[in-house]
Amino acid sequence: MSLDIGFNRGPHNRERLWGPLYALPAIALVVVFIGYPFGSIIYHSFTHWNGLEPARWIGVKNYRDLLHDSLFRLALRNNLLFAISVPVQVVVPLLMAYLIHERIPGWRLFRATYFLPAVYSTVVIGLLAQVIFASHGAVNIAFGKTGLTGLEHDWLGSGPTAIGVILLLLIWANFGYNVVLYLAGMSTMDPQLPEAARVDGAGRLAVLRHVYIPGLRRVIELVLVTNTITAFAYMLTYIFVVTNGGPGFDTYDTEFLIYNEAFSYQALGYASAIGVVLTLIILLFGVFQIRMLTGGKTGSA
Amino acid sequence: MSAASIPEAIQPARIRAGSILRWPVVAGMTLIALSALFPLYFMTAGAFRTKLDWERSLVGWPTTTSMQAFHDAWVSGHISLYFRNSAVVTSGTIALTLITATLGGYAFSKLNWRGKSACYFFVLAWMAVPPLVLMVPIYVEMVQLHLMNTYWSVILLYTAINLPFNCYLMAAFFRSVPDELIEAARMDGASIHATFLRVMVPIAKPAIATLCIFNILYVWNEFLFALLLLSSDNVKTLTVGVLQMQGRFFYNYPALMAGLLIASLPVVGVYLVFQKYLIRAVAAGALK
Repeated sequence: MSLDIGFNRGPHNRERLWGPLYALPAIALVVVFIGYPFGSIIYHSFTHWNGLEPARWIGVKNYRDLLHDSLFRLALRNNLLFAISVPVQVVVPLLMAYLIHERIPGWRLFRATYFLPAVYSTVVIGLLAQVIFASHGAVNIAFGKTGLTGLEHDWLGSGPTAIGVILLLLIWANFGYNVVLYLAGMSTMDPQLPEAARVDGAGRLAVLRHVYIPGLRRVIELVLVTNTITAFAYMLTYIFVVTNGGPGFDTYDTEFLIYNEAFSYQALGYASAIGVVLTLIILLFGVFQIRMLTGGKTGSA
Repeated sequence: MSAASIPEAIQPARIRAGSILRWPVVAGMTLIALSALFPLYFMTAGAFRTKLDWERSLVGWPTTTSMQAFHDAWVSGHISLYFRNSAVVTSGTIALTLITATLGGYAFSKLNWRGKSACYFFVLAWMAVPPLVLMVPIYVEMVQLHLMNTYWSVILLYTAINLPFNCYLMAAFFRSVPDELIEAARMDGASIHATFLRVMVPIAKPAIATLCIFNILYVWNEFLFALLLLSSDNVKTLTVGVLQMQGRFFYNYPALMAGLLIASLPVVGVYLVFQKYLIRAVAAGALK
């Protein structure tokens, strides 16, 4: 009886107590393994630190050095090249999803297989790419057998084609995610809208343009932002496995530079500064893209 | 062919215009579908080759059906060990993620407490920070916490990395559950915990399925933090293991292919099982 009264009296008091306790494990994990390291790179970006001796405060020297670091500029340029994938990832999967949604012949096969590249580990994709694009690899053998010997090339042996191979892998590995996102978005739309447009005589492209694209605005936003972030901050595994930054420094990107400065040269303070700059770039892109799409209004979620 | 007059006049032209492009488009999309299946073919064919067959014909059907490569990979390549490690790390991370993300998502959506929105924003904000940027301090922190070369290092880290998104996913889903359902459970005398466990968690199955699919794919396939934090063979996961096989088995490509195939099959299997629900799960979960 007394238990009953306690409950009736205080469901809100109980929520005040249990709310924070329910949230605590999530907050604690995020603080310890993301928040604290983030504070650490901000602090250490102003220090000289080799990981053995205590960090020494040197003000903005790391950032000033960064301005004159030609390798950093090369790495950023490569990230920009990887961002060529972004418009492709926004447009092509949208068309594919639309065709699958419209039940083009073979749509079941396309829907089942297009996500597969996103299922393979980047390491697996990278190692296969090494075998396939090697100078005696499958691509050159195929060219040789079909008499297209003029097209044989040491794909990973020169900078521009190595970047091209990584770009190709990036697009291939991720387009299925975007197709699934678009298909999911289309499935949540009111089916009467495209139907009504069709009855009014709109062709397939007109329906896509005037019904689906406005209806998928938030999904397009999501695809744009996530793929831009990928091109800048999720490329390290590809580079590590496929080219290891080579030939020379040709396929260095910003994260590879962080990895190298930190674990090859023990320049932990400098690596932290690069990390801070990369985070700022990503925040900037995220905010800018959302602003651009929502016309200044944020917080559509 | 009903009596609808105006659309009728336009429709034939539309269909004809569509059909000119139709078959080239279908052919192109089929080629892309084949490219998605190609790695599975290439790894399987390669794994059944002998080393000689690999050198002779890299691309065609294998002329041999040797199982030697699987034996080499599983035993001498230590793939059996790495497989166990990947399984432990993945199931550990999924378990911890399920607990923390559903509890957090519930607290952030349906419970009323002081500082809720500030805490929710604080957790979500970390979605904007790419985790690899933090590799240096995370490495140092794991050394200091004596977690290097333990399963816990990656289980805790992977859970933390994806928690902002997972909490968002669960909170968005729980928010869509009508309050009346919770009120009704409360009326029946259910405590906060009973409401959570018996009403909210069962209802959240679509969101939990989305969470499982994407987190299994992430954890099983993650490479760089595993490389940094797990250097001893006893805890090393498959992605790191197969990359090192390339060094150890440099002239044994069939064994490498067998290793890659073994590393890929579990996630391909998970995908095939969830494939039917994937789009529905994303629609119910991530796009809420």
